[in-house]
Amino acid sequence: MTRDDHPLKPGGGVESLADRQAGLVKALTSRARVPEGFDGRLIEVARVALLRKRAGEVAKQWPMLAAGPAWPRVFLQWAADRPTLGALRDGWDLARELAAGGELPALAGEELATREATMSYDGTSAPRRRRGPALRRAAGVVVLQIAGTVRTVRRA
Amino acid sequence: MAVAADAAAADAAADVTTAYGVGIGWRPEIAGFVAGLPGLRFAEVVAESVHAHGDLPPGLQELLDRGVTVIPHGVRLSLGGAEPVDPERVAHFAAVAERLHAPLISEHIAFVRAGGVEAGHLLPLPRSYAAVDAVVANVERLRAATPVPIALEPIAAVFDWPDDELDEASFLTEILDRSGALLLLDVANVYANARNRGTDPLELIDKLPLDRVAYVHVAGGADHDGIYHDTHTDAVPQPVLDLVTALCERHRPPALMLERDGDYPPARTLSDELDAIAAASGYPAVT
Repeated sequence: MTRDDHPLKPGGGVESLADRQAGLVKALTSRARVPEGFDGRLIEVARVALLRKRAGEVAKQWPMLAAGPAWPRVFLQWAADRPTLGALRDGWDLARELAAGGELPALAGEELATREATMSYDGTSAPRRRRGPALRRAAGVVVLQIAGTVRTVRRA
Repeated sequence: MAVAADAAAADAAADVTTAYGVGIGWRPEIAGFVAGLPGLRFAEVVAESVHAHGDLPPGLQELLDRGVTVIPHGVRLSLGGAEPVDPERVAHFAAVAERLHAPLISEHIAFVRAGGVEAGHLLPLPRSYAAVDAVVANVERLRAATPVPIALEPIAAVFDWPDDELDEASFLTEILDRSGALLLLDVANVYANARNRGTDPLELIDKLPLDRVAYVHVAGGADHDGIYHDTHTDAVPQPVLDLVTALCERHRPPALMLERDGDYPPARTLSDELDAIAAASGYPAVT
Protein backbone atom coordinates (compact mmCIF):
# COMPACT_ATOMS: atom_id res chain seq x y z
CA MET A 1 0.00 0.00 0.00
CA THR A 2 1.39 3.38 -0.98
CA ARG A 3 0.74 6.54 0.99
CA ASP A 4 -1.68 7.73 -1.68
CA ASP A 5 -3.73 4.54 -1.46
CA HIS A 6 -4.21 4.79 2.26
CA PRO A 7 -7.46 6.19 3.62
CA LEU A 8 -5.27 8.32 5.87
CA LYS A 9 -4.13 11.16 3.65
CA PRO A 10 -0.46 12.16 3.65
CA GLY A 11 -1.53 15.29 5.55
CA GLY A 12 -2.78 13.06 8.35
CA GLY A 13 -6.54 13.63 7.91
CA VAL A 14 -8.95 10.83 7.09
CA GLU A 15 -10.01 10.85 3.45
CA SER A 16 -13.49 12.33 3.28
CA LEU A 17 -16.58 10.37 2.34
CA ALA A 18 -16.97 12.70 -0.66
CA ASP A 19 -13.47 11.87 -1.97
CA ARG A 20 -13.99 8.16 -1.41
CA GLN A 21 -17.34 8.18 -3.21
CA ALA A 22 -15.80 10.12 -6.11
CA GLY A 23 -12.95 7.59 -6.36
CA LEU A 24 -15.38 4.70 -6.47
CA VAL A 25 -17.56 6.32 -9.16
CA LYS A 26 -14.44 6.97 -11.27
CA ALA A 27 -13.41 3.32 -11.00
CA LEU A 28 -16.89 2.25 -12.09
CA THR A 29 -17.37 4.74 -14.93
CA SER A 30 -13.88 5.49 -16.29
CA ARG A 31 -11.90 2.35 -15.50
CA ALA A 32 -9.88 4.32 -12.95
CA ARG A 33 -7.93 2.37 -10.33
CA VAL A 34 -10.15 0.44 -7.91
CA PRO A 35 -9.84 2.10 -4.48
CA GLU A 36 -7.87 0.21 -1.87
CA GLY A 37 -9.68 -2.54 0.01
CA PHE A 38 -12.53 -3.15 -2.45
CA ASP A 39 -12.98 -6.59 -4.03
CA GLY A 40 -11.72 -5.99 -7.57
CA ARG A 41 -13.69 -8.91 -9.00
CA LEU A 42 -16.99 -7.61 -7.60
CA ILE A 43 -16.24 -4.04 -8.70
CA GLU A 44 -15.70 -5.41 -12.21
CA VAL A 45 -19.04 -7.27 -12.06
CA ALA A 46 -20.73 -4.05 -10.94
CA ARG A 47 -18.94 -2.02 -13.64
CA VAL A 48 -20.18 -4.30 -16.41
CA ALA A 49 -23.69 -4.45 -14.91
CA LEU A 50 -23.80 -0.62 -14.94
CA LEU A 51 -22.75 -0.57 -18.60
CA ARG A 52 -25.39 -3.15 -19.52
CA LYS A 53 -28.04 -1.12 -17.74
CA ARG A 54 -26.93 1.98 -19.64
CA ALA A 55 -26.99 0.04 -22.92
CA GLY A 56 -30.62 -0.90 -22.23
CA GLU A 57 -31.57 2.69 -21.47
CA VAL A 58 -29.87 3.96 -24.65
CA ALA A 59 -31.61 1.24 -26.67
CA LYS A 60 -34.98 2.57 -25.49
CA GLN A 61 -34.17 6.07 -26.77
CA TRP A 62 -32.28 4.93 -29.88
CA PRO A 63 -33.92 1.67 -31.01
CA MET A 64 -32.42 1.73 -34.53
CA LEU A 65 -28.91 2.46 -33.22
CA ALA A 66 -29.28 -0.52 -30.88
CA ALA A 67 -30.78 -2.84 -33.50
CA GLY A 68 -28.64 -5.76 -34.59
CA PRO A 69 -26.37 -8.34 -33.00
CA ALA A 70 -23.43 -5.96 -32.33
CA TRP A 71 -25.43 -4.24 -29.58
CA PRO A 72 -24.66 -4.06 -26.63
CA ARG A 73 -21.01 -4.94 -27.38
CA VAL A 74 -20.45 -1.76 -29.39
CA PHE A 75 -21.96 0.36 -26.63
CA LEU A 76 -20.04 -1.37 -23.83
CA GLN A 77 -16.77 -0.74 -25.62
CA TRP A 78 -17.59 2.88 -26.40
CA ALA A 79 -19.00 3.70 -22.95
CA ALA A 80 -16.37 1.98 -20.82
CA ASP A 81 -14.51 5.21 -20.09
CA ARG A 82 -17.33 7.67 -20.73
CA PRO A 83 -19.56 8.33 -17.71
CA THR A 84 -23.20 8.74 -18.68
CA LEU A 85 -24.61 12.10 -19.75
CA GLY A 86 -28.09 10.57 -19.92
CA ALA A 87 -29.36 8.01 -22.42
CA LEU A 88 -30.35 10.62 -25.03
CA ARG A 89 -26.89 12.20 -25.19
CA ASP A 90 -25.00 8.91 -24.81
CA GLY A 91 -26.80 7.48 -27.84
CA TRP A 92 -26.44 10.75 -29.75
CA ASP A 93 -22.68 10.96 -29.17
CA LEU A 94 -22.18 7.33 -30.18
CA ALA A 95 -24.36 7.66 -33.30
CA ARG A 96 -22.44 10.76 -34.43
CA GLU A 97 -19.14 9.00 -33.91
CA LEU A 98 -20.26 5.95 -35.88
CA ALA A 99 -21.67 8.19 -38.64
CA ALA A 100 -18.40 10.11 -38.88
CA GLY A 101 -16.53 6.83 -39.30
CA GLY A 102 -18.99 5.61 -41.94
CA GLU A 103 -20.10 2.80 -39.63
CA LEU A 104 -23.72 3.83 -39.03
CA PRO A 105 -26.35 1.67 -40.84
CA ALA A 106 -29.02 3.49 -42.88
CA LEU A 107 -31.93 2.96 -40.45
CA ALA A 108 -29.85 4.28 -37.58
CA GLY A 109 -28.80 7.12 -39.91
CA GLU A 110 -32.44 8.05 -40.43
CA GLU A 111 -32.97 7.97 -36.68
CA LEU A 112 -29.96 10.24 -36.12
CA ALA A 113 -30.88 12.64 -38.94
CA THR A 114 -34.42 12.89 -37.54
CA ARG A 115 -33.08 13.79 -34.10
CA GLU A 116 -30.63 16.30 -35.62
CA ALA A 117 -33.47 17.93 -37.58
CA THR A 118 -35.86 18.21 -34.63
CA MET A 119 -33.42 19.11 -31.85
CA SER A 120 -30.18 21.05 -31.73
CA TYR A 121 -27.36 19.49 -29.76
CA ASP A 122 -23.95 21.12 -29.44
CA GLY A 123 -22.33 18.02 -27.96
CA THR A 124 -21.66 19.66 -24.60
CA SER A 125 -25.03 20.72 -23.16
CA ALA A 126 -28.59 19.41 -23.07
CA PRO A 127 -30.28 19.12 -26.52
CA ARG A 128 -33.01 21.68 -27.25
CA ARG A 129 -36.02 21.51 -29.54
CA ARG A 130 -35.48 23.50 -32.75
CA ARG A 131 -37.80 26.43 -33.43
CA GLY A 132 -37.19 26.67 -37.17
CA PRO A 133 -37.04 24.18 -40.05
CA ALA A 134 -33.94 22.05 -40.61
CA LEU A 135 -32.46 19.76 -43.25
CA ARG A 136 -30.07 17.12 -41.88
CA ARG A 137 -28.22 14.12 -43.26
CA ALA A 138 -26.62 11.07 -41.66
CA ALA A 139 -25.37 7.81 -43.20
CA GLY A 140 -26.61 8.96 -46.62
CA VAL A 141 -30.17 9.64 -45.39
CA VAL A 142 -31.55 13.16 -45.70
CA VAL A 143 -34.51 14.35 -43.65
CA LEU A 144 -36.40 17.63 -43.64
CA GLN A 145 -38.19 19.03 -40.61
CA ILE A 146 -40.75 21.78 -41.02
CA ALA A 147 -43.00 22.90 -38.13
CA GLY A 148 -42.15 19.72 -36.21
CA THR A 149 -43.07 17.37 -39.05
CA VAL A 150 -40.21 15.24 -40.36
CA ARG A 151 -40.03 13.88 -43.89
CA THR A 152 -37.29 11.68 -45.30
CA VAL A 153 -36.30 13.28 -48.62
CA ARG A 154 -33.55 10.83 -49.59
CA ARG A 155 -32.94 7.27 -48.44
CA ALA A 156 -29.52 5.69 -48.45
CA MET B 1 -60.66 -23.56 16.23
CA ALA B 2 -63.67 -21.75 14.78
CA VAL B 3 -63.05 -18.87 17.17
CA ALA B 4 -59.42 -18.67 16.12
CA ALA B 5 -60.44 -18.73 12.47
CA ASP B 6 -62.98 -15.98 13.10
CA ALA B 7 -60.41 -13.91 14.91
CA ALA B 8 -57.94 -14.38 12.07
CA ALA B 9 -60.61 -13.41 9.56
CA ALA B 10 -61.47 -10.33 11.61
CA ASP B 11 -57.81 -9.34 11.70
CA ALA B 12 -57.56 -9.88 7.97
CA ALA B 13 -60.69 -7.79 7.38
CA ALA B 14 -59.33 -5.02 9.57
CA ASP B 15 -56.15 -5.12 7.55
CA VAL B 16 -58.05 -4.91 4.28
CA THR B 17 -59.83 -1.75 5.38
CA THR B 18 -56.74 -0.06 6.80
CA ALA B 19 -54.07 -1.42 4.49
CA TYR B 20 -53.37 -1.06 0.80
CA GLY B 21 -52.61 -4.74 0.22
CA VAL B 22 -50.92 -5.68 -3.06
CA GLY B 23 -49.82 -3.01 -5.53
CA ILE B 24 -47.50 -2.60 -8.49
CA GLY B 25 -44.85 -0.26 -9.84
CA TRP B 26 -46.57 1.78 -12.54
CA ARG B 27 -44.57 2.02 -15.77
CA PRO B 28 -45.76 3.45 -19.14
CA GLU B 29 -45.19 0.07 -20.84
CA ILE B 30 -47.69 -1.70 -18.56
CA ALA B 31 -50.13 1.21 -18.06
CA GLY B 32 -52.95 -0.72 -19.74
CA PHE B 33 -52.41 -3.78 -17.57
CA VAL B 34 -52.29 -1.71 -14.38
CA ALA B 35 -55.45 0.20 -15.37
CA GLY B 36 -57.24 -3.14 -15.72
CA LEU B 37 -56.53 -4.36 -12.16
CA PRO B 38 -59.93 -4.21 -10.43
CA GLY B 39 -58.73 -4.49 -6.83
CA LEU B 40 -55.73 -2.15 -7.05
CA ARG B 41 -55.49 0.36 -4.21
CA PHE B 42 -51.93 1.59 -4.55
CA ALA B 43 -49.16 1.94 -7.11
CA GLU B 44 -45.71 3.47 -7.18
CA VAL B 45 -44.28 5.68 -9.90
CA VAL B 46 -40.67 6.71 -10.55
CA ALA B 47 -40.65 10.32 -9.36
CA GLU B 48 -38.18 11.49 -12.04
CA SER B 49 -40.52 10.22 -14.79
CA VAL B 50 -43.37 12.54 -13.75
CA HIS B 51 -43.53 16.20 -14.79
CA ALA B 52 -44.01 18.54 -11.86
CA HIS B 53 -46.34 20.57 -14.06
CA GLY B 54 -47.95 19.75 -17.39
CA ASP B 55 -49.76 16.51 -18.21
CA LEU B 56 -49.37 13.33 -16.24
CA PRO B 57 -48.37 10.26 -18.29
CA PRO B 58 -51.47 8.70 -19.93
CA GLY B 59 -53.05 6.18 -17.57
CA LEU B 60 -51.70 7.65 -14.36
CA GLN B 61 -54.41 10.33 -14.09
CA GLU B 62 -57.06 7.61 -14.52
CA LEU B 63 -55.61 5.71 -11.56
CA LEU B 64 -55.76 8.83 -9.41
CA ASP B 65 -59.34 9.49 -10.53
CA ARG B 66 -60.21 5.95 -9.42
CA GLY B 67 -58.86 6.69 -5.96
CA VAL B 68 -55.72 4.60 -6.34
CA THR B 69 -52.95 5.95 -4.11
CA VAL B 70 -49.79 6.71 -6.12
CA ILE B 71 -46.48 6.96 -4.29
CA PRO B 72 -43.56 8.75 -6.00
CA HIS B 73 -40.33 6.77 -5.71
CA GLY B 74 -37.12 8.72 -6.29
CA VAL B 75 -34.11 7.06 -7.88
CA ARG B 76 -31.76 10.00 -8.58
CA LEU B 77 -31.71 12.14 -5.46
CA SER B 78 -28.51 10.53 -4.16
CA LEU B 79 -29.53 10.86 -0.50
CA GLY B 80 -26.38 9.00 0.55
CA GLY B 81 -24.08 11.34 -1.32
CA ALA B 82 -21.62 13.21 0.85
CA GLU B 83 -22.58 16.32 -1.09
CA PRO B 84 -25.87 18.07 -0.26
CA VAL B 85 -28.78 16.82 -2.34
CA ASP B 86 -29.50 19.03 -5.41
CA PRO B 87 -32.16 21.63 -4.46
CA GLU B 88 -33.72 21.44 -7.94
CA ARG B 89 -34.20 17.68 -7.63
CA VAL B 90 -35.68 18.13 -4.16
CA ALA B 91 -38.09 20.80 -5.43
CA HIS B 92 -39.17 18.55 -8.31
CA PHE B 93 -39.73 15.58 -6.00
CA ALA B 94 -41.79 17.70 -3.59
CA ALA B 95 -43.88 19.13 -6.45
CA VAL B 96 -44.57 15.64 -7.83
CA ALA B 97 -45.64 14.42 -4.38
CA GLU B 98 -48.06 17.33 -4.11
CA ARG B 99 -49.32 16.79 -7.65
CA LEU B 100 -50.11 13.13 -6.92
CA HIS B 101 -51.56 13.92 -3.47
CA ALA B 102 -49.17 11.27 -2.21
CA PRO B 103 -49.42 10.31 1.47
CA LEU B 104 -45.79 9.14 1.38
CA ILE B 105 -42.65 9.44 -0.73
CA SER B 106 -39.68 7.09 -0.95
CA GLU B 107 -36.01 7.07 -1.94
CA HIS B 108 -32.94 4.89 -1.44
CA ILE B 109 -30.15 4.56 1.07
CA ALA B 110 -27.55 4.93 -1.66
CA PHE B 111 -25.65 7.44 -3.77
CA VAL B 112 -25.77 7.79 -7.54
CA ARG B 113 -23.19 10.50 -8.28
CA ALA B 114 -20.02 11.93 -6.80
CA GLY B 115 -17.49 14.54 -7.86
CA GLY B 116 -19.83 15.67 -10.64
CA VAL B 117 -19.95 12.22 -12.27
CA GLU B 118 -23.13 10.15 -12.64
CA ALA B 119 -22.71 6.48 -11.74
CA GLY B 120 -25.86 5.49 -13.64
CA HIS B 121 -27.24 3.34 -10.84
CA LEU B 122 -27.68 3.07 -7.07
CA LEU B 123 -24.38 2.50 -5.28
CA PRO B 124 -23.93 1.23 -1.72
CA LEU B 125 -22.64 3.33 1.16
CA PRO B 126 -19.98 2.36 3.65
CA ARG B 127 -21.72 1.34 6.87
CA SER B 128 -20.06 4.18 8.72
CA TYR B 129 -21.18 7.02 10.97
CA ALA B 130 -20.05 9.49 8.29
CA ALA B 131 -22.45 7.85 5.84
CA VAL B 132 -25.28 7.90 8.41
CA ASP B 133 -24.60 11.63 8.88
CA ALA B 134 -24.75 12.21 5.11
CA VAL B 135 -28.09 10.39 4.69
CA VAL B 136 -29.66 12.05 7.74
CA ALA B 137 -28.58 15.53 6.57
CA ASN B 138 -30.02 14.95 3.09
CA VAL B 139 -33.29 13.50 4.43
CA GLU B 140 -33.55 16.66 6.52
CA ARG B 141 -33.14 18.79 3.36
CA LEU B 142 -35.86 16.76 1.65
CA ARG B 143 -38.13 17.00 4.68
CA ALA B 144 -37.80 20.79 4.62
CA ALA B 145 -39.39 20.77 1.14
CA THR B 146 -42.32 18.39 1.68
CA PRO B 147 -44.68 17.69 4.58
CA VAL B 148 -45.27 14.00 3.69
CA PRO B 149 -43.43 11.15 5.43
CA ILE B 150 -40.37 9.66 3.73
CA ALA B 151 -39.63 5.95 3.48
CA LEU B 152 -36.04 4.84 2.85
CA GLU B 153 -35.13 1.71 0.90
CA PRO B 154 -31.96 -0.30 1.55
CA ILE B 155 -30.52 -1.38 -1.82
CA ALA B 156 -29.15 -4.58 -3.31
CA ALA B 157 -25.37 -4.23 -3.58
CA VAL B 158 -23.04 -6.26 -5.75
CA PHE B 159 -20.06 -5.19 -3.61
CA ASP B 160 -19.43 -3.83 -0.11
CA TRP B 161 -17.09 -1.15 1.19
CA PRO B 162 -14.03 -2.53 2.93
CA ASP B 163 -14.22 -0.82 6.31
CA ASP B 164 -17.63 -0.98 8.00
CA GLU B 165 -18.13 0.47 11.47
CA LEU B 166 -21.66 -0.94 11.80
CA ASP B 167 -23.43 -4.10 10.72
CA GLU B 168 -26.26 -3.80 8.19
CA ALA B 169 -29.11 -3.81 10.76
CA SER B 170 -27.43 -1.25 13.06
CA PHE B 171 -26.57 0.95 10.08
CA LEU B 172 -30.17 0.97 8.83
CA THR B 173 -31.70 1.35 12.30
CA GLU B 174 -29.34 4.24 13.09
CA ILE B 175 -30.44 6.03 9.90
CA LEU B 176 -34.15 5.45 10.61
CA ASP B 177 -33.85 6.49 14.26
CA ARG B 178 -31.93 9.65 13.54
CA SER B 179 -33.90 10.72 10.44
CA GLY B 180 -37.35 9.69 11.68
CA ALA B 181 -37.93 8.07 8.27
CA LEU B 182 -40.01 4.97 7.62
CA LEU B 183 -38.60 1.82 6.03
CA LEU B 184 -39.29 0.70 2.46
CA LEU B 185 -38.21 -2.91 2.77
CA ASP B 186 -37.30 -4.60 -0.52
CA VAL B 187 -37.36 -8.33 0.22
CA ALA B 188 -35.70 -9.06 -3.13
CA ASN B 189 -32.79 -6.82 -2.09
CA VAL B 190 -32.59 -8.58 1.26
CA TYR B 191 -32.57 -11.92 -0.56
CA ALA B 192 -29.95 -10.81 -3.11
CA ASN B 193 -27.59 -9.41 -0.48
CA ALA B 194 -27.92 -12.45 1.79
CA ARG B 195 -27.33 -14.81 -1.09
CA ASN B 196 -24.30 -12.94 -2.39
CA ARG B 197 -22.79 -12.52 1.07
CA GLY B 198 -23.66 -16.04 2.18
CA THR B 199 -25.80 -14.87 5.10
CA ASP B 200 -29.34 -15.69 6.30
CA PRO B 201 -31.91 -13.13 5.06
CA LEU B 202 -34.13 -13.72 8.10
CA GLU B 203 -31.29 -12.82 10.42
CA LEU B 204 -31.39 -9.27 9.03
CA ILE B 205 -35.20 -9.11 8.94
CA ASP B 206 -35.36 -10.16 12.60
CA LYS B 207 -33.12 -7.24 13.56
CA LEU B 208 -35.01 -4.55 11.62
CA PRO B 209 -37.78 -2.38 13.13
CA LEU B 210 -40.62 -4.09 11.24
CA ASP B 211 -43.24 -1.79 12.76
CA ARG B 212 -41.57 1.01 10.77
CA VAL B 213 -42.11 -0.71 7.39
CA ALA B 214 -44.27 1.58 5.21
CA TYR B 215 -44.38 -0.85 2.32
CA VAL B 216 -42.48 -3.66 0.67
CA HIS B 217 -40.93 -4.18 -2.76
CA VAL B 218 -40.95 -7.62 -4.38
CA ALA B 219 -38.97 -8.25 -7.58
CA GLY B 220 -37.19 -10.85 -9.64
CA GLY B 221 -33.55 -11.38 -10.46
CA ALA B 222 -31.09 -13.70 -12.14
CA ASP B 223 -27.62 -15.18 -11.75
CA HIS B 224 -24.72 -13.78 -13.82
CA ASP B 225 -21.00 -14.18 -13.17
CA GLY B 226 -21.69 -16.12 -9.97
CA ILE B 227 -23.64 -13.19 -8.52
CA TYR B 228 -27.40 -12.88 -8.02
CA HIS B 229 -28.49 -9.65 -9.71
CA ASP B 230 -31.67 -7.86 -8.65
CA THR B 231 -32.70 -7.21 -12.27
CA HIS B 232 -36.43 -6.41 -12.04
CA THR B 233 -36.61 -8.00 -15.51
CA ASP B 234 -36.90 -11.65 -14.43
CA ALA B 235 -39.58 -13.66 -12.63
CA VAL B 236 -39.88 -13.40 -8.84
CA PRO B 237 -38.15 -16.53 -7.52
CA GLN B 238 -39.85 -18.75 -4.94
CA PRO B 239 -37.31 -17.95 -2.16
CA VAL B 240 -38.31 -14.26 -2.42
CA LEU B 241 -42.00 -15.20 -2.07
CA ASP B 242 -41.08 -17.41 0.90
CA LEU B 243 -39.37 -14.39 2.43
CA VAL B 244 -42.60 -12.40 1.96
CA THR B 245 -44.45 -15.10 3.91
CA ALA B 246 -41.81 -15.20 6.65
CA LEU B 247 -41.92 -11.40 6.94
CA CYS B 248 -45.73 -11.34 7.13
CA GLU B 249 -45.70 -14.02 9.83
CA ARG B 250 -43.55 -11.69 11.94
CA HIS B 251 -45.26 -8.40 11.16
CA ARG B 252 -47.40 -7.96 8.09
CA PRO B 253 -46.67 -4.62 6.38
CA PRO B 254 -49.66 -2.55 5.18
CA ALA B 255 -48.64 -2.79 1.52
CA LEU B 256 -46.50 -4.93 -0.78
CA MET B 257 -45.83 -4.35 -4.47
CA LEU B 258 -44.33 -5.93 -7.55
CA GLU B 259 -41.47 -4.07 -9.23
CA ARG B 260 -40.93 -4.84 -12.88
CA ASP B 261 -38.68 -2.65 -15.04
CA GLY B 262 -38.35 -4.24 -18.44
CA ASP B 263 -38.68 -7.41 -20.55
CA TYR B 264 -42.37 -7.19 -19.67
CA PRO B 265 -44.04 -10.60 -19.79
CA PRO B 266 -47.60 -11.26 -21.02
CA ALA B 267 -50.38 -9.85 -18.80
CA ARG B 268 -51.21 -13.34 -17.59
CA THR B 269 -47.71 -13.78 -16.15
CA LEU B 270 -47.84 -10.41 -14.39
CA SER B 271 -51.26 -11.36 -12.95
CA ASP B 272 -49.83 -14.63 -11.69
CA GLU B 273 -46.96 -12.78 -9.99
CA LEU B 274 -49.38 -10.37 -8.28
CA ASP B 275 -51.53 -13.32 -7.17
CA ALA B 276 -48.45 -15.09 -5.82
CA ILE B 277 -47.57 -12.02 -3.72
CA ALA B 278 -51.18 -11.88 -2.47
CA ALA B 279 -51.06 -15.58 -1.55
CA ALA B 280 -47.66 -15.25 0.13
CA SER B 281 -48.78 -12.25 2.22
CA GLY B 282 -52.38 -13.27 2.88
CA TYR B 283 -53.83 -10.15 1.25
CA PRO B 284 -56.69 -10.44 -1.23
CA ALA B 285 -55.83 -10.77 -4.92
CA VAL B 286 -56.10 -7.51 -6.87
CA THR B 287 -56.38 -9.12 -10.29
